[in-house]
Amino acid sequence: MTVLPFAWRSLVRQPARSTLGVLGVAAVGALLFDMLLLSEGLVLSMRELFERMGFDIRIIATDQLPGGSPDIKDASNLASTIAALPSVQSALTIRTEDADFERDAISAVDGSILGVGTGAAPPWTILRGRDPHAKDELVLNQYAARTLRVEPGATVTVQATCAGGAEAPPSIAFQVVGIAELPFESLDEPAAGTTLASLSEACGTPEADLADFLAVTSVGDPDAAAADIAALRPDLRIFTNEQAIGQLQQGGFTYFRQISTVLTTITVSFALLLITVLLTVSVNQRLGEVAALRALGFSRNRVVLDVLCESALIVGIGGLLSLPLGALLATWLDGILKSMPGIPAQLHFFVFEPTALFIHGGLLVATAIIAALYPMRIVARLPIAATLRNEVIS
Amino acid sequence: MKIRLFVLVLTGALAAFAFALRAQELPQVLVSRQLAQLEGLSEGDTVRLATDAKGTNVREFRIAGIYEPTPDPARLGNVPREVRLHLPDLLDLTLQPAGAEHVDSINVALVDPASAAEFARDVNARTPGVVARPAEGAASLGSTFVVLERFHFAIAAVTIVAATVFLLALTIMLVDERRETIGVLRLIGFPARRILMQVLVEGILIAGAGALFGLVLALASEGLINRFFQWRYDTALVFVRVSPNVAALCVAIAVPLGATATVIASWALLRRGGLRLARR
Repeated sequence: MTVLPFAWRSLVRQPARSTLGVLGVAAVGALLFDMLLLSEGLVLSMRELFERMGFDIRIIATDQLPGGSPDIKDASNLASTIAALPSVQSALTIRTEDADFERDAISAVDGSILGVGTGAAPPWTILRGRDPHAKDELVLNQYAARTLRVEPGATVTVQATCAGGAEAPPSIAFQVVGIAELPFESLDEPAAGTTLASLSEACGTPEADLADFLAVTSVGDPDAAAADIAALRPDLRIFTNEQAIGQLQQGGFTYFRQISTVLTTITVSFALLLITVLLTVSVNQRLGEVAALRALGFSRNRVVLDVLCESALIVGIGGLLSLPLGALLATWLDGILKSMPGIPAQLHFFVFEPTALFIHGGLLVATAIIAALYPMRIVARLPIAATLRNEVIS
Repeated sequence: MKIRLFVLVLTGALAAFAFALRAQELPQVLVSRQLAQLEGLSEGDTVRLATDAKGTNVREFRIAGIYEPTPDPARLGNVPREVRLHLPDLLDLTLQPAGAEHVDSINVALVDPASAAEFARDVNARTPGVVARPAEGAASLGSTFVVLERFHFAIAAVTIVAATVFLLALTIMLVDERRETIGVLRLIGFPARRILMQVLVEGILIAGAGALFGLVLALASEGLINRFFQWRYDTALVFVRVSPNVAALCVAIAVPLGATATVIASWALLRRGGLRLARR
């Protein structure tokens, strides 16, 4: 009988302990898999979000990413100048402000309104209806549409609260022309998209030509386009998608990477310790049996290999089970983390990538081998005659 | 010669005094520890601040002190390189014309903090364009931490499930190892109940010792983890704290779990006959 079926029979002979061992590895493996998905999940998800918006470069007024930086003034002219560069395909001005929405005494408060220029297609995805073109037209996200119970064609009142806007901006009636999925929208936050001019009016400063940032699409080489824009306007901060991701990686995103590293280390150590104990106790209980096999002619390498195969079977079966279990667990944990306020609906904390699967497999293989080292040593150094004698006497 | 030297020293002393006097007259600022370390600044130094890199409208300030910024979990990863100015100095620096000064926010301390929501409603009704919110609601940080706590709890739950499964496997093996001893005890007249009680007490003692070892390990690693993350993020935030409540919860979970696993593993064995157990 070859090594693997023999090891399999050893495990099957003790179903309770083998099943528990496999289940333990599956639970630990699932946690390990999830931690690997978490370590790069936010970065991958954010990169996907950036790419989905279809822009290569973001231009802002200071070195903070949009949200904390001052507005860019004379934004439309700047966008036209940048769009005229040979390395640039299009440039779009984007401005976001806080807003409350109301319709027939139903209100959706603490939301946001996005105003976009005309240099490129808007960054949202239309689900129903069309894009706003004329004055006082907007698209709502699904949450706002649900809350206000509106469909394209309805009218909503918007009260915007704008940085640099009028002290008491007017409440303006907008016609809903579409329902859209807006970039970086939260699951439980009303949001709308309109033209830059309409947003300026809603802010009570129709003459203002402000933008939080400019979204630029290059003709194919984002770095070259970024260099051209930097040469044109050295006072602005220009980020390619990769640079923006890099800055986010150095900021708050590192928390989840660190916690994932700590938990991965703990999980692997935990699995290693427990499988070692499990195999060692199991081997210690079968010393007489191993000595008998050696006396029957089994070579030292063969019995050592049996122990290794047992470890590989426990970790292998547990590892395979850990993948679907880990996927389920990741969905649950992702749901928990996504309930944090202000997290965009499309952002995920646990994102699958093939590298995570390879690392997971590699760590489990290493665990199986290292965990088997000590019991393998016990079996290799087993004195056959003395062990058999002890077995008979006891 | 002596007179010349005296005049020179006197002039120098006067210049130093005048310089010190001028420095005293300068408006004062506080500098964050991180910025002070980065730029090699210390208390009493004179610094020049401007609103842009070109140095437009540059003003001189004297550093009145170095402060440790209040740890802010929402800004984890951002090293606070900050300067705190008196509001009039900031308005002067940013060249805001009289009557057009503006601030980002006003913090209001109420005589009765419980009336915050009512006060906010009142302000919102009376001053259009101004948004007043109770501090608790304005900062969504509270709910962020509730979510993070829930996440950590979920991770802990999965770890406990994995640990329980392993614990059961181990106890089954350990109890199996003592099969003959238990068989002999049964044969000489020990009732199953008595043996089970002994196993339970043993389980409680082992689980208690394990839980205590775990707590000591957690306490030892607490400082290590905090120091690592405080160094990594250059913050005074505390990341791990083994509070009495957390310690009590861990013991309350670990000891019954360990004892129960031992009893469950032993129960299956005790249902067999003494002879079978003793292999006779």
